[in-house]
Amino acid sequence: MLSVKNIKKSYAGVAALRGVDIDLDVGLTAIVGDNGAGKSTLMKILSGVVRPDEGEIVIDGSPVTLDSPTRARSLGIESLYQDLALADTLDVASNVFLGRELVKRRLLIHTLDDKAMRRAAAETLKAVGIGIPDVKLPVRQLSGGQRQAVALARAMYFSAQVILLDEPTAALGPKETAAFTRVVREFVERRTTVCMVTHNLPQVMELADRIVVMRAGRVVATMNVSDVTEEQLLGLMVGSAAAV
Amino acid sequence: MTSVRDRVRRGSGSSMTRDLVSASLRGRLPVVLVLVLMIIVFGVTGQGFFTNISFQNITSSTSLFLLIALGETFVMISGGIDISLASNLAFSALTAGILMTKMYHGHGDGALIVIEVAVITIIVGSLIGMINGLIISFLKISPLIVTLGSWGAFFGLAEWLSVKYPIGTLPPASFTFGNDGPVVAWIVWLTIGCVLIFAFVLARTRFGRYIFAIGANREAVVRAGVPVRRFTVYLYVIAGLMAGLAGFISTCDFQTASSETGSSYLLIAIAAVVIGGTPLSGGEGSILGTVVGALIISVLENGFVLLGINTFMQLVAVGAATVLAVYFDQVQGRMRIRAIAMGAQGETSE
Repeated sequence: MLSVKNIKKSYAGVAALRGVDIDLDVGLTAIVGDNGAGKSTLMKILSGVVRPDEGEIVIDGSPVTLDSPTRARSLGIESLYQDLALADTLDVASNVFLGRELVKRRLLIHTLDDKAMRRAAAETLKAVGIGIPDVKLPVRQLSGGQRQAVALARAMYFSAQVILLDEPTAALGPKETAAFTRVVREFVERRTTVCMVTHNLPQVMELADRIVVMRAGRVVATMNVSDVTEEQLLGLMVGSAAAV
Repeated sequence: MTSVRDRVRRGSGSSMTRDLVSASLRGRLPVVLVLVLMIIVFGVTGQGFFTNISFQNITSSTSLFLLIALGETFVMISGGIDISLASNLAFSALTAGILMTKMYHGHGDGALIVIEVAVITIIVGSLIGMINGLIISFLKISPLIVTLGSWGAFFGLAEWLSVKYPIGTLPPASFTFGNDGPVVAWIVWLTIGCVLIFAFVLARTRFGRYIFAIGANREAVVRAGVPVRRFTVYLYVIAGLMAGLAGFISTCDFQTASSETGSSYLLIAIAAVVIGGTPLSGGEGSILGTVVGALIISVLENGFVLLGINTFMQLVAVGAATVLAVYFDQVQGRMRIRAIAMGAQGETSE
């Protein structure tokens, strides 16, 4: 269980988050909201890229400081970014292990263990269930869905407890989105906490267990997916409906 | 979808050395062919191309700018550039010359002095690189601008040094180091050692992997938790270190130094890197490519000398070769993009 309590963040005097409280439990929590609602800032704070001005983050009862992406990762928080944080010219295996390369000791120097990384990457991708012909391919030769799979394989290999997805299917075609949805379901079944920011309301209705609606830097509604319709959700996002 | 190329690649075995070589040569075969072709052409037309002296000339002259090109390769793969290396080299060469002049009083061969000054010069070069790296990393100013600025600053300082402190008699040991050695000069052996170390670091270590990754997508590397700023500083320190080393070697080789020392090396070094397949945009490249690029330039220069072509034309030829290399790289890149687009089509129709 990951909770954020009274998180505030301003950029050059402009408030992006004005005191946000959210509990992320096992299962999929979708965060929806109009542009500028503060969703992406919240995700950046949870992944350790941005530090909040105020507030507290609590994991399983103990407060934590997410002061770097490395720290967030060591606490089991993995992020998939809108712009796919992959290094295009590196191969698939190098990207899965970027920043956490497997090494072996030769004399006094740690050298990259590419063989082990390729094997592990291939196995994990197989488990993710999105086909990639060869883990030695540079990721720029992959399709959007395959690239997404590389990012998911990263999360899966390092057995993430919390997965943050920022507009995960924005760049994907229908077939790829379906494959991606299947993988996300699998994560949820493994009792992972998944938090997804998206504009895609049908996808929210299909995938999410809980929905958090944000508007202008605040949480305006939190509900179970069964308690709300897509129309009501839309109303909440733009602010034309009363809070549920 | 399995393309023919994938199948070929998968069938190609996976021994580490073969991997290393194939990874460095991927798409660079035309450049190697150009080198071979040039050697054949000059061998046939230029008298005395296949002589020991010609071989010594080529290896020695390649060494000096190849040393800078190695550091520049790292920087350029990371998506940066360092154009201050020319004046760093001059400043370091003068530092070495002045220190050796002051310390050597005509007793013995002065080997110890040479070693001491070598260490100091390398530190001086590294410090210049560190200034570049810190400004680029922490003040977030474009590498081109920062190194243009320090190029000017250290060129000025080098001129001041050269006017203020004349270089006199250098220790005989420095001449030996710069010009003698088994089969080829010691400086060539040193360069070969550096090539091996750079190639190893780039292909087999985490640092090497991050150099590529920073060039491909800096933000991705930051988010992966890699201390990118620190590594960026290291890259410019390494480039500066190599310029310092090249400066020291140049003083030993020519037994003098001036603010103009190595002024043409920067163009040649960057040309070697670019001809060797490292794009200005970074993310790709190899040490082997740079070595081949450097050899092409050296063979070209030597061939020109043997054919009696005006030496001024050499730089013209190097400049033209660089532009051509970039042009062919872009053509290759466009073909690759087209191939990917076609591959993606094949996939959706699957």
